Amino acid sequence: MVVEAVRAAASAANRFGLGARPDEIAGIEDPAAWLLAQLRRPPDGAAAFAGLPSSLEYLRREAELNRERRRLRRLATATGTGAASAASGSAAAARNPLARLFRQAFGDDLRREALARWQIAATTTTPFAERLVRFWSNHFAVSVDKAPARLYAAPLEREAIRPHFAGRFADLLLAVETHPAMLRYLDQAQSVGPDSPLARRVDRRLARRAVRGDRPAQRLGLNENLAREILELHTLGADSGYTQADVTEFARALTGWSVPFPAQLERGRVDRPFLYRAAAHEPGMRSVRGRQYPDTGFDQARAILLDLAASRATARHLAFELARHFVADAPPRALVDRLTAAYLDSDGDLGVVYAQLIEAPASWAPAARKFRTPQDFLIAALRGGSIALGSRPQPFEWFAARLGQPTFMPRSPAGFSDLATDWIGSDALWKRVQAAEGLAQRVPRAGLDPAMLAHATLGPRFDAPTQAAIRRAEAPQQALATLFASPAFQWRV
Amino acid sequence: MTTRRDLLTMIGCGLGAASFAGWAPPSWAANPAGPRLMFVLLRGGLDGVHAVPPVGDPGYAPLRGALALSPAGPTAAGGAAFALDGTFALHPSLGFCARLYAQRDFLPIVAAAPPYWGRSHFEAQDCVENGTNSPSGAETGWLNRAVGACHQQGLSATAVTPLIMRGPAPIDAWSPPLPNRVNPILLQRLEPLYGEDEALAGAFADAIAEQGEETGIDGRIRGAQLAIGQRLPTIFAAAGAFLARRGGPRIVFVEDYGWDTHANQAAILTRKLAELDRAVHAFHDAVLPVWSRTVAIVVTEFGRTARVNGTGGTDHGTGGAMFLLGGAVDGGRVGGQWPGMRPEDLYQHRDIHATTDQRVVFKGVLATHLGMSEEVLARVVFPDSAGLRPAGGLLRRGVHAA
Repeated sequence: MVVEAVRAAASAANRFGLGARPDEIAGIEDPAAWLLAQLRRPPDGAAAFAGLPSSLEYLRREAELNRERRRLRRLATATGTGAASAASGSAAAARNPLARLFRQAFGDDLRREALARWQIAATTTTPFAERLVRFWSNHFAVSVDKAPARLYAAPLEREAIRPHFAGRFADLLLAVETHPAMLRYLDQAQSVGPDSPLARRVDRRLARRAVRGDRPAQRLGLNENLAREILELHTLGADSGYTQADVTEFARALTGWSVPFPAQLERGRVDRPFLYRAAAHEPGMRSVRGRQYPDTGFDQARAILLDLAASRATARHLAFELARHFVADAPPRALVDRLTAAYLDSDGDLGVVYAQLIEAPASWAPAARKFRTPQDFLIAALRGGSIALGSRPQPFEWFAARLGQPTFMPRSPAGFSDLATDWIGSDALWKRVQAAEGLAQRVPRAGLDPAMLAHATLGPRFDAPTQAAIRRAEAPQQALATLFASPAFQWRV
Repeated sequence: MTTRRDLLTMIGCGLGAASFAGWAPPSWAANPAGPRLMFVLLRGGLDGVHAVPPVGDPGYAPLRGALALSPAGPTAAGGAAFALDGTFALHPSLGFCARLYAQRDFLPIVAAAPPYWGRSHFEAQDCVENGTNSPSGAETGWLNRAVGACHQQGLSATAVTPLIMRGPAPIDAWSPPLPNRVNPILLQRLEPLYGEDEALAGAFADAIAEQGEETGIDGRIRGAQLAIGQRLPTIFAAAGAFLARRGGPRIVFVEDYGWDTHANQAAILTRKLAELDRAVHAFHDAVLPVWSRTVAIVVTEFGRTARVNGTGGTDHGTGGAMFLLGGAVDGGRVGGQWPGMRPEDLYQHRDIHATTDQRVVFKGVLATHLGMSEEVLARVVFPDSAGLRPAGGLLRRGVHAA
């Protein structure tokens, strides 16, 4: 192969993919075709995810667990043991039987979800597709440190993102915003129209209680969290001209979008993890960004979402994020324009946008490079070193957390940054060197040739100084630690 | 030439010294008696009305409903709040802060905000961090510019440097380390490689100098898994220990997450504020030797809606609370101008009005505590802020190194 072609093959595997496996770069004859082909078949993962519970199943079991918790709490109150006092502090939490119940009920599932995800990252033969799945998973970030969303972040990716990542953005958007993960993470599930039949009923009941002198309970009402983040993060982008009134109106339209109630789940009356509660929907016409939306129940917010998906601001926002993720922290304007046009011309067909990304010469320019995030770094080491995961995801989750990117735990709904400035720091680099040593210990030793491995994973980026450093290592494991900790390995080039 | 590593050895400090090249430190920079500053950013939007409830405002209880607290006794939202003055109280989880208030080392300031009032977390945080009038007003952080302008050593208690600490002044970063020691030969091999990588060379040289060290700060931190509810106290304790150390950094940045309480706010803030209170306690104990020369500033990017929303929480708002604490603080009173909480007092009929630009407080602390000139503050640290005079009277007189 000519040098240019090898360089492009390495970029396909390392910048567009998840980091080259030892045989990967050599197997890529036509880099563009290799990437495009990954969009035409379903991404790997069906086998790894087989047997994992659906969101609906999680909702059912969670409802059962909550019933059991209430029973224990009543028991504790009755017997005065205070088992459910749920005192603050970690030691108390460890003794807390309610926390133990959760671990007993879902610990295995959470481990299997995590392990399957690392497994796919480490072994997939469609790494470009997998990177796109994770790009969207982070775009529609959900954090498991919010307890009600905890079980649903991994299913969101499996159920809403994997089926739609290369299809129309509108379908992806609808799948995500109706998923229990997002409805709970951004507090939509409990949002109730202040003039909805449900709120009025509760108001009347509260008025009667006030007359009787009972303690006032809380009124039901609006929560604008999801509406705001859809506009700012999921579609239009910040600074795109929407107003507080647009946020509030959109939040009113979204009222009723919720998840099934425990009672419904227990009676087995529901067949999907989404529930439109007509009684909670705010009646009336809504006006968002100058357009009127008649009250069509569920379809009112759906119509707004479809208009958002079709808007120029959304096209530009998504084009910019994609170009920034795959090409450079400050992507060329012409590339962003090209992707924006592809999005608008194709009615938001993401497959068409990806094809333009692959065909654009700017995507292959020598200046194109990205700094690996901690998760990227770990996955690249797993793939490059053919590291076997074993049966426990914990060591890798631990590395990811200590390197600053715990799985499904971004610090905000904006997800994790993919900008170099957010990840380059002396403390962060030091921890990468520490992690590199730990990871090198896990690489299988049989037939190990570190220089060959480095060449196979870095391609033309395996420069003379890095070769010399690896050659000088006193043992294969130290050579691999050098590879994983080298600056060449920290970049997706 | 003296390398950074030599210098660290010379001053007997394994961590924290920034590059000393190119300037002559003022006499007090190496002076253990010099001033100490910790800046804490609570990301997500702490509800100031919940942390410092204006229980004496007739508008408070009606608007707050089930979230209302009272110094008279427990309510649906929690235990009895600590009465501060005729109008304000402190959340029941902030017991240690209430003690500091009683000894006049704690100064809450109400109805404060950055100049950006747009209710986006990310834009508001950018604005708090860059120190300008707008979210995109600068690419560097004001705390970095302050570190540079007063020739201090700065430390970010984070693995990577956030916007507020980014900029021309060299800043160290520290977070609880991984347990394994690194093979020194591996480092020798990596050094020339990183030396060739422009984007990484500086950070790697600092990493080598610090060796993830061996800070001697707290052996228990090393490799420890930070349990839930212990993260913030651990980091605050480390920050305090760094500041108390001879030759250590004088300006430290700490951040926390999880303050965005759209739902179930009473329970979440009872837990979060208790963690913050434990953290303040841990900081106090760690920084005790220099407590009288210490100021900590605790801020958030915005306050929240005055009314409770439909899910027992509050949505993004405007005016919020900030705290000054430390032995140098002239506390024991509530600062700021309270705009009132009657429906007609609210900003856009929903938020607490912001009556104090946070930068007025920041400038007041930097001027009095670090002795920075008003001119540098208005030009370098907070560009185009000449119209905002530094707040006076925030600190006790004569405790800082003048």
